[in-house]
Amino acid sequence: MSSDVLTINSLAYTYPGASTPALTDVSCSIGNGEFICLTGDSGCGKTTLLLAIKGLLRGGSYSDAITITVPPSDDGWSTPVGLVFQNAESQILCTTVAEEVAFGPENLCTPPEEIALRVRESLQAVGLDDCETRHVERFSAGQKQRLTIASTLSMKPGLLLLDEPTSQLDGKGKRDLCELLTGFKSQGYTIIMAEHDPRPFTNIIDRYLPIAGGRIGTSTSTMPDSGRYAANIAATTESVAEAEPEVAIEVQELCVSYPETGVALQRVSLKVMRGELIHLFGSNGAGKSSLLRCLTGLETPDSGTVELAGITDPHPEHLPGKVGVLFQNPSRQLFAESVYEEVAFALRRMGASTQEIKRVVAEALTLCGIGHLAERAPLTLSFGEQHRVALAAVVAPKPLVLLLDEPFAGLDFPQRLTLLAILGEMPGRYGTTVVIASHDELPDQAWADRTLHLRGGHLDETGH
Amino acid sequence: MTHDSPVHRLGAGWKLALGTLLSALAVGARTPGELLALVTVTLVYYFAARLTPFDLWRDTRFFVFQAVLIIGLYCLLKGGDKGLWPGFRQSAQIILFYIPGAVLLRTTRTGDMMRGLRRIVPYRLSFLVFVSIRFVPFFLRELDEIMTAQRLRGARLLPRQLVDPRNWGDLFHCLLLPLMVRALKTAEEVSLSAEAREFGARQQRTFYDVSRQAGQAATAHLKQNTVPPCSHMGPEAGKGLL
Repeated sequence: MSSDVLTINSLAYTYPGASTPALTDVSCSIGNGEFICLTGDSGCGKTTLLLAIKGLLRGGSYSDAITITVPPSDDGWSTPVGLVFQNAESQILCTTVAEEVAFGPENLCTPPEEIALRVRESLQAVGLDDCETRHVERFSAGQKQRLTIASTLSMKPGLLLLDEPTSQLDGKGKRDLCELLTGFKSQGYTIIMAEHDPRPFTNIIDRYLPIAGGRIGTSTSTMPDSGRYAANIAATTESVAEAEPEVAIEVQELCVSYPETGVALQRVSLKVMRGELIHLFGSNGAGKSSLLRCLTGLETPDSGTVELAGITDPHPEHLPGKVGVLFQNPSRQLFAESVYEEVAFALRRMGASTQEIKRVVAEALTLCGIGHLAERAPLTLSFGEQHRVALAAVVAPKPLVLLLDEPFAGLDFPQRLTLLAILGEMPGRYGTTVVIASHDELPDQAWADRTLHLRGGHLDETGH
Repeated sequence: MTHDSPVHRLGAGWKLALGTLLSALAVGARTPGELLALVTVTLVYYFAARLTPFDLWRDTRFFVFQAVLIIGLYCLLKGGDKGLWPGFRQSAQIILFYIPGAVLLRTTRTGDMMRGLRRIVPYRLSFLVFVSIRFVPFFLRELDEIMTAQRLRGARLLPRQLVDPRNWGDLFHCLLLPLMVRALKTAEEVSLSAEAREFGARQQRTFYDVSRQAGQAATAHLKQNTVPPCSHMGPEAGKGLL
């Protein structure tokens, strides 16, 4: 920690067309070899600050107050700042691993023989040795995340920026990434990581820089607001499972396999009663999505039977109104001109009257806490708000079963707790059975009536 | 690439030329005989790349969905007898136009593709062309996921449902609009990713040939563990310049 690598003095930035600044009076300095965690809730300005440091902000109102003092290389074949983005999927530009890692050095006019060495060293650093010729499409989420880091390391950055690197990773992926970053730190890398939940990295973080509303708070060596992670919302949930012992989901001896990846589900049997709150837990590739696809009739199993909300061998066209499904990215299902119209869509398709639609939409918007957004265009809302609109749209028909696939992706901790609180009200209000499939632990372990573990295509019940 | 075949080993430039020729023939095919001959040649090309019927289904399934719509529209506008053949022909032409591109994408490395293209266009443009093709499978997956989410909300998007013109609004609002939004968002992310890795920052760039350099690097790595500092580009570097 000898000298400062980065100094920021009163940085302010406003996006083009925005009325309020994304960053205001941001000042800080980062020492050589430090591991800094920028922490704060979604939309607080973490990503904007990283883009500003990398010099990628275009347009808008900007006060240039950033000084980077990484010594430039003599040959010019390195970059002062390397930035790894949140979404590995859209960050990988090439088809094979070696090409992807070579892409940055190629742009710096690095000679091919030097690139070859960097490719090898970078892949070795992230534990992807011997993967040079592999096709990136076949990589897991964790491997893709490692590849994006290797692609940045190959440019020999003096300062490494990571934007929410764990957002797509399961528990093992997070542990592996933590181990990787521990190694980088011991090698002397200066790292700034934006992360809304820094708990997996507490042992390697030197300082926390909290951000809220575009303003940076006082730097601390301990995790700010760590008490929030002990929140318990289970008391607000109520289950009607005992009152109405009706079967909502019944799966028997379900087997699914794919030509490329082999067995996804092996003799999976499951019975879920009406009004139960279920957490379907499993790492990436464990078979969660396959099970949900079979439940909703999007996939035909090799063998076995499925009964969902009283429908045997369900078909997607038979489910609206009875079964609600919420997928990971809400923007995939938003299209209407207003939040009201978005939520009303499924009800119109069910043939509900205008009065009934008005009443039910208002109820769903209130339940999801977005009544004030009814006239807004869904696509202009923040990610967290869009997520609630999508939730309100699937909740409005008061489904018997609500299935959610990785619903926590992209949400910060308070938003996750709010989501659980809303879902926890569903059994009491409508007798809805809620199934959350995720690779993340629940923010509140006590929320679920039962936790089902999917491992290698097998289902185990752990309870809680 | 993990697979190998005569098509994999064919130069990217040749595949581009062959693909362009087959796609052009697809546009020009008019008679059933011409179409049949082109189907045969295209399938021989596809399977010569050691791709499977399952791959073919994955590559063309959305066009099958489109074909139902096109044939339905022709039958609606011109009547069942007169509309069937033109609808079928146009659908087949679209699929045949696309398949050579799918073969190119599945059998060609990024570097080979850009090397082939850079002979014709500047490297920034060749990258743009490549990335557009590279993300086709990504958007097909997006299309599939959007369609799944919307069908489960009650949108009428099945081919048989889209034969009815009253459901065409769903095609635009529930499928194409979210897809366009996702495409714009992804384009922004791709552009930022490229810029973050200094793409376009310099007038020229070097080119790393995976197949040639991997072996050399291994040898060099064994000989010396540290990378010698280079203050200027040597003659070897010039060979790789785009």
